[in-house]
Amino acid sequence: MPSAAADAAATDMTTLNRKLAAATCALLGSALVTPVDAREEPDWDFNTSLLYYGEDGDRVQDLSFKSLSRRLFTDDRTLSIGLTVDTLTGATPSGAIRQDIPQTFTRPSGNGSYEVPADELPLDDTFKDTRLALTLGWRQPVFEKGLFDVGVSASKEYDYLHTGLNASYAHDFNNRNTTVSAGFAFAKDSIEAVGGAPIPFTAMRDVGDLGNRQGDQDKDVLDFVLGVTQVVSRDLLFQVNYSYSRSEGYLNNPYKVLSLVDGVTGDTVQRTPGPEGGPSGVFLFEGRPEERTQHSLYAQAKYNMSGKVLDVSYRYMTDDWEIDSHTIDLRYRWPIGDRSYLEPHLRFYTQTEADFYRLSLDDSVALPAFASSDYRMGNFDGTTVGLKYGWKTRNDNEMSVRVEWYMQSGTVPADQVIGNQAGRDNYPDLNALIAQFSYRFSN
Amino acid sequence: MAKVSVERRVEIAPADNGWAGRFTAMGSPCEVLLDEAGQDLTCNVSTDVAAEAWRIEDKFSRYLDGNIIKRINKAAGTPVEVDEETAKLLDFAATLHELSEGRFDITSGVLREVWQFDGSDRIPDVAVVAAVLERVGWGRVAWQRPVLTLEPGMEIDFGGIGKEYAVDRCAGIIRDARCGAGLVNFGGDLAATGAPQQRPAWKVGIEGEAADSTDKLIDLRAGALATSGDARRFLLCDGVRYGHILDPRTGWPVQDAPGSVTVAADSCTQAGMLSTLAMLQGGKAEAFLEEQGVTYWVRQ
Amino acid sequence: MKTRMSVIGLVLALSAGCSSMGVEPWERDVLAREDMQLTPDPIEAATDDHIYFSKEASSGGRAFGGGGCGCN
Repeated sequence: MPSAAADAAATDMTTLNRKLAAATCALLGSALVTPVDAREEPDWDFNTSLLYYGEDGDRVQDLSFKSLSRRLFTDDRTLSIGLTVDTLTGATPSGAIRQDIPQTFTRPSGNGSYEVPADELPLDDTFKDTRLALTLGWRQPVFEKGLFDVGVSASKEYDYLHTGLNASYAHDFNNRNTTVSAGFAFAKDSIEAVGGAPIPFTAMRDVGDLGNRQGDQDKDVLDFVLGVTQVVSRDLLFQVNYSYSRSEGYLNNPYKVLSLVDGVTGDTVQRTPGPEGGPSGVFLFEGRPEERTQHSLYAQAKYNMSGKVLDVSYRYMTDDWEIDSHTIDLRYRWPIGDRSYLEPHLRFYTQTEADFYRLSLDDSVALPAFASSDYRMGNFDGTTVGLKYGWKTRNDNEMSVRVEWYMQSGTVPADQVIGNQAGRDNYPDLNALIAQFSYRFSN
Repeated sequence: MAKVSVERRVEIAPADNGWAGRFTAMGSPCEVLLDEAGQDLTCNVSTDVAAEAWRIEDKFSRYLDGNIIKRINKAAGTPVEVDEETAKLLDFAATLHELSEGRFDITSGVLREVWQFDGSDRIPDVAVVAAVLERVGWGRVAWQRPVLTLEPGMEIDFGGIGKEYAVDRCAGIIRDARCGAGLVNFGGDLAATGAPQQRPAWKVGIEGEAADSTDKLIDLRAGALATSGDARRFLLCDGVRYGHILDPRTGWPVQDAPGSVTVAADSCTQAGMLSTLAMLQGGKAEAFLEEQGVTYWVRQ
Repeated sequence: MKTRMSVIGLVLALSAGCSSMGVEPWERDVLAREDMQLTPDPIEAATDDHIYFSKEASSGGRAFGGGGCGCN
């Protein structure tokens, strides 16, 4: 077709719709015509984020990419695919206590040693690790008012493998005002400690000596959750969950030690390192029980106050290691216009120490059955203060950025402080910066 | 349009977002969905909407005696003076006849005398069709507002516009009632008067290949959707499928029309006309819709 | 054991006693908003769960999905 005629035909076609619109206006009157907004529902929903986590004092730094992709099918069925990649660097407390003289330790691999200056908290910086985690989930409405979820999970880092299965069912009652849910998760983890898992309470050996090491270890975890969600009013709803968790198997941290100290002075018992290098003191590898049972009670409420939303939650945890913890989490979402918001965040955490927590081991008394100086088993408070800012982009996708500060400070039970330990800062306090950028979009 | 013997009743029932008013009109199941309205308000608004739907159905029904359509079609060549509403619809039909280059023609209804789309293989003789075609053609009509004169033997039928027009009029009733966002759905031709509060949009399913499946889900926040379909009523003769959309210029079915066309537009009337005009383009339906720059979904 | 049973009893009693509270379907406009969901940002929730699981002795509380790592 000659181009001029084709152009004329093309112009004819587009003005057809405009003339049709005008004719319709004439028929109906302009009040009955509103600009149309009809879009195909997106099949995919993508949620991605980049996280930076950094502790001060040369300790752990983590850069993490996370994505959660959801594919919606007809009848509200959903497939979820989660992917996380973590790269960890930095040092972590080894569990040994400070001394006023330099100390040397053998690396977990047995292939070298590292030195810690006097008066410094011993940190093991061996770890540069990359972790990959995958989750797959399927959600399906059933029985008109029910929702069934099933999923698998797996993660791998060079010394740890996790595989898991989970399922849950939720049912609506009372005109969808009450939801009761029950779920379980089962995990089989395998620990392939660098150099081999050391036999608990054996001493750290010289470089090249892996005589006290064992092979791969296993850990099984079973979780149950029972919950009720209740709508109270147009502006308020709350949820209460009870959780039970049981772990069995290898529950130790294979890299953590306790310093064996003199019963009077509290100083680490010295030893001479071997020719290739080795520990300058007697450090015993930790040993925890092979079972742990935890109970948690969790309650959360969301309250709308003229457009601003208050989210408050409380969790109480108790277990058969004698650890009790309380967590209070508060978030306040403050909308700015209808496209962005500000959300301050406060979290308070406190826990009591495990009954086997020890700052160090006294060489003048018999060794206990179980012991760990891992600061995570100790008595401490943790406070998080943060601020999040979120906004909608031009294509109605969502972005957010948050910055938080997490501070942990702990105390050692007075009766565990021996001799010269009294003058020192024994508990490895933590200060970490959390920065996260998120982007959510659909297709 | 169905015969008026179907029971006329409005049923109010709880729906996902609140309450729904349901009734039958123009041969289709009709529903009114109101967001954020209680049972009483929904009852009042649905009753008004049903009354308007039935008024339009009765006024333009081919089966009722004494209405304007009957008078026009029985006039046998004499001029008939029409009311304002009918005049507007005739103006609209005239414009559409011109815009579609003759493919849309409200005088083409008499072709149903020779075409019965019952899935059989009985297609009419060429001569029979040609004879009926003598009584088809808007060009033969004298329309001088407000007087309409048809040639003897000719008939007009607003079936191609009526339902969508009714949807828009009823959407107006909901708007005037100021009761929040609402959706008027007359058997798949629908209009929304605003986005619901709860979910971000009204969820409209477009039928898939199988009778009860939903192929696509559309989020409607404002405006209207209308569907023209050719999938169910057809004739099959010598391996050739004859769809039920007839080209008034030839008297024969449009070739290669798609199975169904759904169009989104500012009003249901406009959406309905676009989907009908697309179907009348036969194999060129998609190209036509692309050139119009409208949002559409075509199923072959 | 006793604490466990009484807690389960409390949760069930709560769900039974909740039958009088609630809203009608058309009053769910606020509740349907994303910022009124119990977990409005699943990635942030998963991130926090993982951080605190690594640095503290407690874990979970909400319904779960895929945990486990070598950090504790």
